[in-house]
Amino acid sequence: MHFVGKLLAVSVCLLSLAGAGAVVAQNAQPAQTTQPAETPAKAPAQAGNQPAQGNAQPAQNAQPAADNKGQPATAAGQPAQTPATPAQPSDAVSAAEAGQSQTAEQLATAAKELKRLKDLIAKASDDDTLLAGYKVEVDAVAKQIIATSIATRPRLDEIKARLTELGDPPGEGQPPEADIVTSERKRLLAERGEINALTGEAENLSVQATKLSNAITATRRALFSNTLLKNTDVSIEMFDEALSATINETKVLSRSTTSWLTFVWNYKRIPLLTALFLSICAALIFLVGSNRLFSPYIHHDKSDEEPSYMRRLSVAFWSTLIPTLSTAAFAVSSFLFLRSFNVLRSDITPIIAIALAVTVVGFFVTTLANAVLSPKDSRWRLVRVSDRGANVLLITIFAMALVNGLDYMFGGISEALGSPVVLTVVKSFIASVVIGLIIIASAWIKPTLKRDEPFDAPGHPWPRIVSIILVLTGASLIIAAATGYVGLSRFIATQIIITGAILVMMYIGFLTGKAVSRQGAFAETAAGRYLERRFKLEQVGLDQVGLAAGLGIYALVALFFIPLILLQWGFQVADIESWTYRAVTEIKIGTITISLMGIMAGVLFFALGYVVTRWVQRWIDGNIMARSRVDAGVRNSIRTGIGYVGVGLAGLIGLSAAGIDLSNLALVAGALSLGVGFGLQNIVSNFVSGLILLVERPFKVGDWIVSGTTEGFVKRISVRATEIETFQHQSIMMPNSLLINASVGNWTHRNKLGRSEIAITVTYASEPRRIMDLLAEIAGAHPMVLKNPSPTVGFTAFGEDRMTFELRIYVADVLTGGGVRNDLRVAIYERFRDEGIGAPFPVKIEDVPIESQTGIESHEPEAVGEPKGATSADEKAAASKKEAASAAPLDEDSEAEGSKRRASSRRSNPNR
Amino acid sequence: MRRWAMKTFVIALLSGVLAAGAVSAATVTNKDGETAVLVVVEGESRMEVAIGSGATEMICPSGCFVTTPSGDRIGLQGDENVEIVNGSAIVK
Repeated sequence: MHFVGKLLAVSVCLLSLAGAGAVVAQNAQPAQTTQPAETPAKAPAQAGNQPAQGNAQPAQNAQPAADNKGQPATAAGQPAQTPATPAQPSDAVSAAEAGQSQTAEQLATAAKELKRLKDLIAKASDDDTLLAGYKVEVDAVAKQIIATSIATRPRLDEIKARLTELGDPPGEGQPPEADIVTSERKRLLAERGEINALTGEAENLSVQATKLSNAITATRRALFSNTLLKNTDVSIEMFDEALSATINETKVLSRSTTSWLTFVWNYKRIPLLTALFLSICAALIFLVGSNRLFSPYIHHDKSDEEPSYMRRLSVAFWSTLIPTLSTAAFAVSSFLFLRSFNVLRSDITPIIAIALAVTVVGFFVTTLANAVLSPKDSRWRLVRVSDRGANVLLITIFAMALVNGLDYMFGGISEALGSPVVLTVVKSFIASVVIGLIIIASAWIKPTLKRDEPFDAPGHPWPRIVSIILVLTGASLIIAAATGYVGLSRFIATQIIITGAILVMMYIGFLTGKAVSRQGAFAETAAGRYLERRFKLEQVGLDQVGLAAGLGIYALVALFFIPLILLQWGFQVADIESWTYRAVTEIKIGTITISLMGIMAGVLFFALGYVVTRWVQRWIDGNIMARSRVDAGVRNSIRTGIGYVGVGLAGLIGLSAAGIDLSNLALVAGALSLGVGFGLQNIVSNFVSGLILLVERPFKVGDWIVSGTTEGFVKRISVRATEIETFQHQSIMMPNSLLINASVGNWTHRNKLGRSEIAITVTYASEPRRIMDLLAEIAGAHPMVLKNPSPTVGFTAFGEDRMTFELRIYVADVLTGGGVRNDLRVAIYERFRDEGIGAPFPVKIEDVPIESQTGIESHEPEAVGEPKGATSADEKAAASKKEAASAAPLDEDSEAEGSKRRASSRRSNPNR
Repeated sequence: MRRWAMKTFVIALLSGVLAAGAVSAATVTNKDGETAVLVVVEGESRMEVAIGSGATEMICPSGCFVTTPSGDRIGLQGDENVEIVNGSAIVK
């Protein structure tokens, strides 16, 4: 109920939004048609909705064309007509001039913007982040320029159309034209030239913008390769220089730190302590909150003897992510608080910032290594390495992270203190060499285990290929540093540590996703158990949710970590943003552009339309029609009709939301109609027949119909076929076209009134009139037999030694006919026995079931109506007694026959 | 047989929708009797594109400026259909 309410609210919101959008679009369009001068102002908007403008344009052209009929005459020399028109053009002229001045203004703005950006770019030629941002701006300006010039197109078209109307100037020897025509042509030509000049200007600007954008790309590429491949001469003097610089720097650092600390302690004690307190509070809140939320995922459960792989994975993932995030929260909040309380000094700020950042990254790498290797508890280890190996590996990773982190921290300090570059280079050189040595040393660790070895076994060396790779990587780091490529060496060392950590994290995430989507795995997770409890999901449903959850985890991991890696590799946030934007709005394959966003919007709108349709269906059916006591068949027809219309509308809305031009679909429809002609004929004819069945309603759901050899109750009328359930509960799907083309008998079309007959034969010894009266009396006494039309008795035949009578009764519900007949036969039998009609009894009164005579009613009302017909317990008992007495042999026969038939069919089809 | 038909139907519909949904580059059709030479400025480059009588070309998928034989300059966004009639462009 809640869910429906929410859904309703959301759909109403979306509908109103969509409605508002439509209204805006409608408002915008007339404005464009009537006032071409306004168009430049809307240039940015137009860039987005070109089709709307395209629609508006013919209307603009239509206007001059309508005037056109009278115009040629004017041009030919009927001056009387001309004054009527100038009034309009003069408005148009001023409007158009206004439009052009606006265009010119916009172009001037764009030119200014470009110039500003150019200056900025020249200044920021060594800042990659700024350059990436500027490139996005330049591209936006280029787009804006094109949009501006597109806005002038309608006016140009108008001018051209008007010039065509005016015709060429008269040649020599032709009569001169009216002055007003000449002046108008002159004016139009001037305006045309002006527009062309403006567009030319836009063209130049656009070229400039593209050039600028390409220049930025080139600069950034050069910048990147310069930083990486910059070669420094490694020499003894360099180290000497660095040594003295280090001593210097240490002095400066200690001096400025001490002075800052004394200053802060003496004058800013309260803000400092408040900032620290607040940031610790923030981190604590984060830590405690996430601990409460994720506590089973962060802590190792000591009692769990053998945690499943999935549990180990999720614990590793969360126990890395949550503490890292809370540390990051602490770092960011303490930095922000310190800054906002004015505790920081400009020379200290970068040092604090880099120290905090390095701490967070180092913490992340160490926590992750700890989670994966779990050196203290082998049960929670994700990779199969020995206890000793895990310990050594952890130490190795920690050492590398520490060295790299210290390198960055000291680099940052040097930069902040303005130390000579040589110091940074030497630090990086040392860090690279140390990391290289650690990597080489790690080739001799013996962490791997054989298949059945316990975790406390001594372990074996790496596989040969791994140790070779380790040695080569370490050696290349050292060689790169020694040959002077310190920047490259430092970059590689950082990437090995950080990108490696992120990749490991990603891998764990993917493994978790895979484990969750495995069959039956999701039901064992906490979320799975919750869903099971809350929504009473079955195993299959849970499995599907698990699959979706697994895919969701994949997507999240990719979305979160790939940008992180890209950032690591020197790409800027602006780059990634613009890529993502392009990826979702336009994917170009050759000359074809596909918009993911549009397709997703289309799917969303279709789903929304579908849900709304179902809801409307249910509402109309349950509220309106149920209350006004509409017939069930009509209800069904209306519901199905609404369903078709709703889904069709939702499809159309979805298609147009996806940005698919519906006129293009005409082509597809044309191609499809050929297909319909050949292969889909049946389906289409069945579909149309289904619609006719819904409208004409020769039968409705619940009716008892006969068509050909099929007889039974209508269960469902669907798009292609109608489901009929026979009395044996066999469902038959009958194609709708058959029901339309063939004759269909319906026992319950207008009403359920039906006639039923019972044949009675007695010997000639009886009195026919008495028999007829008796029969009429018996029939009249039965409560289910209608008084009007009254039951009749017919003397139908003279047999060889018997007379045949037929008792015809009408029942209100044909479905109860069988029971009524049954009761009547019992009553006739008993009455005839009591009256002593005909003797000996069994021979003289023979109750020949009508079924055996006609064969039509063979299996109908009895099967269905019997329980309803036998109203009282007495009657039921009598009926069963009678069945046992006389009709039993026949029933048994048919039963035996039936089972024989079933057996034979089973034999013929062993697969059943 | 029927299932096959249904599948074909669905595939046909999907491909149709995809084909219809894809937005292509600007198409230029020359309706004149003689070859039209357009000057197309796209990005940094300025090039001349000759379009034979009755021929159709795809130009500039991401916006450009075109100078038509009549001397008019127009800006194109990249998804228009352009016809060249009497040397001047009609954008549809």
